[in-house]
Amino acid sequence: MMTGTRGRLYGKNVLDGVFRAAPDEDLFLGELLVAVDEQTGRRYLFRVVDVSYGSEHREPGWAERVAGTLLADDARGEAGAHPLHDQGRRTYRIADCRCLGYLTPPDALGQQEFRKPKSLPTQFSKVVAPEPSDFEFLRTKMGDLHVGQLRSGETVVDFGVGIPGESLATHVGIFATTGMGKSNLMKVLVGGVLQAEGRYGLVVIDPHGEYRKELPRHPWATDRLRTYAARNLPNTSRLKISLGELTVDDLRTAYDWSRPQEEALFELERHYATGLNQHSTGLAWLLPFSQLDDLPGFRDVELSSRVALNTLQVVHRRARRIVDLQCISADAGVSVGRSIVADLEVGRVVLVDASGLGSTEEVLVASWLSRTVMDRWSGAYLDDPEVHERLPVVSIVLEEAQRVLSSNSDRESNVFPRIAREGRKFKVGITAITQQPKLLDAELLSQFNTYFVLGLADERDRNILKSSAKQDLSASAGEIQTLMPGECLVVNLHAPFAVPAKVDLWDDVVRRATPPPAPRDVAPPNVRALVD
Amino acid sequence: MSIEVVAERLAALLTGSATSLSDPRPNSQIDFDGDLQIRPLTRANAPADVWAVDGGQALVADARCLQVIVTRSARVRFRHGACEAEEEGDLQAVLLGGTDERVAALAALGVDGINPDSAVDVNLVRDRWEWEAVSRSVDDVDAGGMVLVDGDLQPDWRIPSSYLRDVLDRARERDVVVAGVTKHSSLARGGAPLLAWLEREADTLLPPRSMWWAPVGRTRGDVGGVQVVAATLDPDARFSFRVDLPSWVDPEHALGALSALSDDAAFPGYPYPLSVVDGLAACPGWLRSDIRNQLDELLERAGVPLDVRDRAFTDRHGLMERA
Repeated sequence: MMTGTRGRLYGKNVLDGVFRAAPDEDLFLGELLVAVDEQTGRRYLFRVVDVSYGSEHREPGWAERVAGTLLADDARGEAGAHPLHDQGRRTYRIADCRCLGYLTPPDALGQQEFRKPKSLPTQFSKVVAPEPSDFEFLRTKMGDLHVGQLRSGETVVDFGVGIPGESLATHVGIFATTGMGKSNLMKVLVGGVLQAEGRYGLVVIDPHGEYRKELPRHPWATDRLRTYAARNLPNTSRLKISLGELTVDDLRTAYDWSRPQEEALFELERHYATGLNQHSTGLAWLLPFSQLDDLPGFRDVELSSRVALNTLQVVHRRARRIVDLQCISADAGVSVGRSIVADLEVGRVVLVDASGLGSTEEVLVASWLSRTVMDRWSGAYLDDPEVHERLPVVSIVLEEAQRVLSSNSDRESNVFPRIAREGRKFKVGITAITQQPKLLDAELLSQFNTYFVLGLADERDRNILKSSAKQDLSASAGEIQTLMPGECLVVNLHAPFAVPAKVDLWDDVVRRATPPPAPRDVAPPNVRALVD
Repeated sequence: MSIEVVAERLAALLTGSATSLSDPRPNSQIDFDGDLQIRPLTRANAPADVWAVDGGQALVADARCLQVIVTRSARVRFRHGACEAEEEGDLQAVLLGGTDERVAALAALGVDGINPDSAVDVNLVRDRWEWEAVSRSVDDVDAGGMVLVDGDLQPDWRIPSSYLRDVLDRARERDVVVAGVTKHSSLARGGAPLLAWLEREADTLLPPRSMWWAPVGRTRGDVGGVQVVAATLDPDARFSFRVDLPSWVDPEHALGALSALSDDAAFPGYPYPLSVVDGLAACPGWLRSDIRNQLDELLERAGVPLDVRDRAFTDRHGLMERA
């Protein structure tokens, strides 16, 4: 990294700085630079948030006039006819910066402390490229889930960036326009969890089956990854959900229901629970209801015409669709719920391949899974704190999270807002992936303590993140807008500022991953007998 | 006279048919013997070494009967397409006012042969030091080079001819061209601006984007003669300028070289070294305030109460409410 002078600080205030640089100084949005205060010995860390042109000439229109002269020369094919003499002295660049904080001078032990900005660096301080030691204070804050390398503008710095795994409980948001690297980042995060030796659990709902092909490549996947699929796929376990495990709330989360349709659901639930008293568990009543042939007769006789026929027909159609799903079973004994919970309890990654399911059915499965996990973890928290203490932090990964975390979400029935608000207490978090954060409920978004902000083209998306992030992103709109695929800002309460990063490529993560430790040899029977 | 009458008279001057040439400035003394014929100008090579000189001034404190002024003379050396040396010049402070101050100021100028009864004002002080810088530049420039002066080659009339003659003679001995370029000329034809008329003439006589020059007259025979010409020094120049050259100089050759210095993209048609030295010599408001503060501190130390200073230097116009 270069150590020469990049500029001289000359203006602004405690939180912002502006420095002058040579006209050919290549400055990048998001670049991290250091203002060296010789008088105090402090090193102020700055992030470049904008770069503009400056000139020694104060006459209005000077630069436009020069450009016009040069352009006219070009048009005549006489480029160079009018040189701009002494351009290096007459023109310059101005970098607007956000002050991230400063490093105290080394103490007697050579230790430096990073502090938030509260004072001005000496005016005209030299601005230089950071040295590796300038980032040393970040090392303890980068956590055990590695995602990539520190990035300064377009330069990748040899310094690992990540988040503490505990952050999964306080919810993680991954925000990016299509093609900016959401899936790669998610896979890298999964890789970190796989190697975390059971400290964290992860449920990944995979709507398109893309993770199913990639995640098993990780050297730790054999032991730490369990894959369930909603259809017959090689090397996967069948995802089977008993109707009795589903609830009306799951239905209300997955489908849009009108008020009369919701009333019909409750009427049907009540009818099958009290009337026949045979299918009182969960949505087990969906099976007999879906098998009805004479819907008008059922309505007139069993429901005493309290539900409109067309309303009942909608519920009936949806019931038949659910019952016909390959992953749905009327048999309470075939559910994989316990198995998934058991995997999560020992800190595994559970991948649920939902390819083949429609979007609403995928949400139905996610709702059931999330509720199952939340019930188990909250139950342990309330009933058996010692067991809960041993449970790993678990996070539920949701693609297109705006489907269940929008402001339109029914907060009464929807398990996801509940997890967003209460989950951290039980060590259950959400990892929400979306390309439209503006569609997320602002109050729910404020519950997310960790953001991975990749390239976002829509200003409204950037604005909602700026207003809800746990670190100041107010000056980073330009940088977010210009992030390249794989570049991101990591916003996390553990780091003192939004950390720019270049996310590792999944292929590299797989290639570089150390193999898991070999399983210990099984002791001979006589030794086991002694131990027993 | 109403504005309508003024406009009518102005229109008559600008579009009139009168052809008499004049320079309304006092002590101008130009003999308008030039033919005013527009001649195409060809760009030559730039001189290998060029110095440019300009003077600046500021009124620091003004009690009308007493004035504190500062002047400075800036120099720039232009070689190999860049300004490689820049001198802002030391500030010269002068107290102007009564007889004693006049005598002291005159003595401080250090010019032999100056009339001891001469009045001293800011023009004399500025030009004296500006031409001292010109004199040094003539010595410093490489032989065959050029020294550019902002303005004409007529320093304040109170500076003795011998001073200017000495400078120009030394220049000639070293084959150094001293050229004065005037940004805003007072030369007139029929009472209207001469250069504007020449520009229009050139537009009609020459193809677009032509460089040209025209002889206007001669002056300062007392120093060996100075020729006054008008010239457009770049194809993209918006304006022509008055250029003064010593009489021994071949104008076409000198203007061709001057043209080569006038190709800057920001100011096509004006010699770039002069544009740089112009900025250096300026005494902006902040500099004036700075010197005024210094003066106040020194007066305070000398025991002059604030009240006395205020009463002396406060401009009573400040009491008036003006739109």
